[in-house]
Formats: sequence, structure tokens, C-alpha cells
Amino acid sequence: MNIAVKTENLSKLYGQTMAVDRLSLEVKNGEFFGFLGPNGAGKTTTIRLLTGIIRPDEGTAIIQENLPAGSIEAKLIAGVMPESRGLYEWMTAREYLSLFAHLYSVHNAIKATDEKLSIVGLSHEKNKRIGAFSRGMKQRLCLARALINKPKILFLDEPTLGLDPKGQEDIQILLKALNADGVTIFYSSHLLNEVAMLCSRIAVIHHGKLVAQGTISQLQEQTGLTNSGLKDIFLKLTGD
Amino acid sequence: MFKYILVNELRALLYTWKSMVWFLITSVIFSFASYLFLTDKELSLLDQSEMLWLLSKVIIGTALMIITVDASSTITGEFEKETAESLFLTPLSLKDFVLGKLLASLSLWIAIFLIAVPYIIVVSAGSHVTAAFIMFVLMLGTMLILGFQMMIFGISFLFRSSKNTLTTSLVILLALVLPATFSSTLKNNPLSHFLSVTNPIDNVFSSLDNVLVDYQTTLTGNLKYVFPVLIFCFAAFAFMLYSTKLFKRSGVVKND
Amino acid sequence: MHRKSFLTLLVISLTVCFASANSLPADSGSVCSPPLSMSILSKLALDGIAGDYVTVSAEIKNISAKTITNITTYLSLADEETKLPVDLEDWSAEKGLFIGTIDAGQKFPLEWKIHFVKAGKYSLIIIAEIQGETNVLTSRVTHFAVSPKHNLNPGQVLPVALGMPLFLLVIMMFAAYTRRSRLMKSQ
Ligand SMILES: Nc1ncnc2c1ncn2[C@@H]1O[C@H](COP(=O)(O)OP(=O)(O)OP(=O)(O)O)[C@@H](O)[C@H]1O
Ligand SMILES: [Mg+2]
Repeated sequence: MNIAVKTENLSKLYGQTMAVDRLSLEVKNGEFFGFLGPNGAGKTTTIRLLTGIIRPDEGTAIIQENLPAGSIEAKLIAGVMPESRGLYEWMTAREYLSLFAHLYSVHNAIKATDEKLSIVGLSHEKNKRIGAFSRGMKQRLCLARALINKPKILFLDEPTLGLDPKGQEDIQILLKALNADGVTIFYSSHLLNEVAMLCSRIAVIHHGKLVAQGTISQLQEQTGLTNSGLKDIFLKLTGD
Repeated sequence: MFKYILVNELRALLYTWKSMVWFLITSVIFSFASYLFLTDKELSLLDQSEMLWLLSKVIIGTALMIITVDASSTITGEFEKETAESLFLTPLSLKDFVLGKLLASLSLWIAIFLIAVPYIIVVSAGSHVTAAFIMFVLMLGTMLILGFQMMIFGISFLFRSSKNTLTTSLVILLALVLPATFSSTLKNNPLSHFLSVTNPIDNVFSSLDNVLVDYQTTLTGNLKYVFPVLIFCFAAFAFMLYSTKLFKRSGVVKND
Repeated sequence: MHRKSFLTLLVISLTVCFASANSLPADSGSVCSPPLSMSILSKLALDGIAGDYVTVSAEIKNISAKTITNITTYLSLADEETKLPVDLEDWSAEKGLFIGTIDAGQKFPLEWKIHFVKAGKYSLIIIAEIQGETNVLTSRVTHFAVSPKHNLNPGQVLPVALGMPLFLLVIMMFAAYTRRSRLMKSQ
């Protein structure tokens, strides 16, 4: 059980644009994997392909050694914070999370709900209507939902987007702790500092194509920017 | 699994006041109709059986209208508010999703029907068709509304937009209701006769006419009207099946 | 269409018959002298309310000296306001009754079940046809009225018409209140 995510020639065509273009990736179990790319590079599309929200036009994606992306087995062990952050605004945080606990057939749903709410720091707001939540609170709730089924692998699409520094830090700490517990994390972000700090390995995509993959020092070697930070490497890799 | 979707929908109906507004509108319409039966000069001269038929049309018509508006947004809302993705990330199957939504929408109809029952009882008091009235409105209404819901859900999966779905459904509803209201004058024309025997709403109204005015209260006496409604249900189901196939192929996030 | 022309014909032949019957009192030698007599027995019971089921009973008597075979009797009903025959199928009645043979001087009871579908004024006749004869025989016209059913009782309807919206309003407030207080309490 070493491979957490593996894609081969994964491709998705939206009209004329190749949103994801023959992408071959491999993420090992227990890795904190950074997935970088400029706007429109295809990060969200890749995550949607990996979580079974859309189907690839070509290629394959496999989760946890042998589970096809989008299969029920793959869904059961994955936690996802997708780009679309829609929530049922009329519900309370607790009602919302327990709905998902039930949908994942989580054992002892109510207990799991309260536990996850406290992990993301929403215990005090759990009976408040989601409509009255701030953006940061909603983001935390999304993270709690991603965690409700005790996932082995987490797909996070820009999870700290729009959060204040404290909020970002809270989430970073939480994710580090989860990773230390053995949860594989597939982390898409624009915040290069964050990625440099958290991720053990990084992939950079541009126009749907993989342009580099490896640890930061491997990327430094590949680009010949041995003393530069991730920002310079990123700009070099994605510059047209 | 559909049960969680259903419970969630029912909660939404209750907590968001949406259903309560529907119910209030329903009861006001029914009250207004029965008040007119009593006080309006021409209406109150109607034979009781004619009055009952009119009431049955008001009940079915109101329910159809409300269900159309409500069902047009129940599935499309998940796409418009971007909540669909989170639902389909769970092991929830499309079948359970649709079933949950369908039952929730159907329970809205059942509630409207239950609101109608006291009106049926008082307006039909003294006639011997009260029980038949209730049974036939329940049976025909459920079949007709189920067919409409499936049709609307099918449209929803195609458009994924509540506005387009509502507009299309209302146009279809209108196209079916209008001929049904003056079909008797058109029945001599072979084309309109054909349209009328295939029109599910027309058949429901004819069957209710048969029950309430002509006292044909057996199921077998109404089979020729019930059958086309059943066909409509199957057609709507087939359409929904087709539309969900397309949905599955294009994925939860469609190509914009 | 068919029935209408039949009826027109019928009315014409009846008029001729009546006219001659009136001018020539019972004379066995006359062309129109009827071998059968028919009478509707249930005149009084006929007036009713829409929705009622009633039985029209009548009697046919062979007043000739011979046995008559192959007799069929019909019930015919016309709306006096529209002057149109009523489609008896809606009134769930069997229109024709085949009697067969009646011996000389014998009576035969006739019965039709009809259902008053619509309020109005109606006239009813019974027609007898003997196979092979060109003339039909009719009973006298019986008039009756079906009054509309006025069962709508304001005393029953108004409480529901007013009460239901109020009832729902109360439920609405109650549901909102309980949810609100539950959310407040658990905060
Ligand atoms: N539903 C869609 N329909 C059509 N084209 C789409 C759709 N979603 C994405 N695309 C296109 O696919 C490409 C990749 O988009 P994607 O959302 O995956 O990028 P991204 O890397 O997530 O960008 P961002 O950093 O802005 O979130 C873009 O060119 C985008 O226009
Ligand atoms: Mg994105």
C-alpha cells in the first residue's frame, strides 16, 4: 500500500481547451503533495477528475493502489474540499455535518460531527445557521466536512483562500497534524510560501501539462535556480 | 441512502418556510373557490356534482402549479448553489439522490392533498361521492404529479438552471392545461381529439368528470382515462432516465 | 344524428296518429287503432333531485284480440328547455327492452332504472315497436322535473374556508418559534 494517487495520461477537454493534458502523476502514501499552477492551469479540473466529479476523456486515475477514481470505495476513503464551497445556508453547522456523516455511513454520526466541529474550532457556533457564518467559518466547516469520514487521503483545492493569517495558520497546523497521523494530502494552492513550508513534494502544471515534479531541491536542480525560492522556480516553470 | 436526502429536503421545506407559504397559498385558493361556490350567483346555481368537478380541477390545478414551481428548483438549486459537488463526493448514488428528491416533492403534493380533504368533505356533503372523490383525486393526482415531477427532474438535469427549467415546465403545463379546459368543444376535430385522449391532464379531468358527474366510481369504469396517465408517467420516467444518463456522462460539473 | 332524425320521424308519426286518434274515437277498424296500450305508472315518483336514482315503471297491455309477437319497448327522454333528446347512456339506463310476445288481453310490466344526471325539465315517453309494423306506438307524454342539488351548506363550508388558512398560519408560527427557541437554547 504505497501509492495514494496515480494518474496515467489523464486528459480532459473542455470545448477547445485541454484543461488537463496527458497528466501522469504519482503520490505516495503519507506524502504532503503540493499541486501548483497558475490560474486556469487545470488544478481544479484534476482534482475533479481524481474525485470522480467528472470523467476523463482519456487516461486513468487510481486511488490507494487499485481503486478507480470515482468508485464508491475511493469515495469512502477520500476527503475533499472542492473549489465550489456551496453550503445549505438554512442549516446549522451541526445539522449540515451530520447529514454528511450519514451520507458517508459514519459510525456514531452525531459524535463524529461534534468531534470534527471541535477540531476545526466551530464548537461554539455549531447551532448557528450557516447563512450567518463568516467566510472563514464556512471554510472551516468545509474542512470539517472533508474530514467527517476519517479519510486516508485529502484533496484540498485552495483551502486557505480568503482566510486571515490566523485562519491560515490554524488550518496549516491542523493539516500538519493530520499528515503526521499518516493522512496523505493532495494540496492545491497559489500560496507558494505555504506550499514551501508544508509540502514534501511538489508538482507544477501549466496549461494542463505537468511541467515539473519533485522535492524543492529537485526542482531547484531541474530549473538551475539552486539558491532561489519556490516563487522564482514557479515563475520560471510557468513563464511562457 | 435516499432517506437522508428526503429528510434533508423535508427539513428544508419546513425550516425555510417555503412549504408553509405554499400551503398557505393552497388553502387560500381552496377557501376562495369554496366561498365562490356558496356566494357567486351563477356558481351557486350549479349542480352539486358540477361544483365538485370544479373543485377537483381547482385542487389538481393548484397542486400542479405549486409542484411545477417547486420541483423546478429542487435539483437545479443544487447546481446553482454549488452544493451538488459536495453531495456527489459522498457515496450517494444518483438513484438515491433522485429518489430522495422525488419523494420530498411528492410529500409536498400529499400535504396539499391533505389540506384539500376538509374542503372536499364539506363541499361534497350530502352527495354519495365523497369517498370516491377523495380516492380518485389521490390516485389520479399522485400519478399525474409523479409524471410531472419526473419530467421536470429530467429537464433539470439537462439545463441545470432553475430559470430555464421553470420556464420550460410552465410552457408544457400551459400547453397541456389550456386544451384541457375547452376540450369538449374541440373533441369533434380528429387532431384535437387525438391530443385530448393523449393529454394526461385532460384524462384526469375527464375521469373526475366521469366519477363526480356521471357517478362512475369504479376503477374499471375509469381505466380508459387512467391508462393514458400511466403512459405519461412511464414516458416521463423514460425521459428522466435518459436525461440522467446524459448527466452521468457529462459529470457533476458540466462543460460551460 | 341518426337518433335525431329517428325522433323527428317519430314525432311526426305521433302527431298524425294522435290527430287521427282524437278525431276518431276508439275504433278497432281504424288504421291507427293501437293494439297495445301503455301507461306510465310512476308519474309521482319521477320528480326528483339531481343525483337520484329512480325507477320508471310502466305497463304495456295487449288490448287487441290477437297475440302480438316481437314487441320491443323504448324509453325516450327529451329536455324540454333545449328540445333535445337526452342521451340515455349518461343516465345509465337500458334504453330498449325486448318484450317478445304478449297474449291477447295480457299485461306486461316494464321497468327502467334511470339516474338523474342533470337538473332540468324533461318529458318522457315509452315507445313500443312491433316487428314488421311500420307504425310505432307510444304512451302519453309524462312531464317531470329534476331539481338541482343544493347541498352546499354555508354552515359547513365557511368554518373550513376560514379555519384552514388560520390553522396553517398557527402551525407556521409554531414551527418557526420552536426552531428558533431550539437554536437559541443550544447556543
Ligand atoms: N466547467 C467548465 N467548462 C468549460 N471550461 C472549463 C470548465 N472548468 C474549467 N474550464 C477550463 O479549464 C481550464 C482549467 O481550469 P481549472 O479550473 O481546472 O483551473 P485552475 O488551475 O483550478 O485555476 P484557478 O487557479 O483559477 O482555480 C481553464 O482554461 C478553464 O477555462
Ligand atoms: Mg481552481
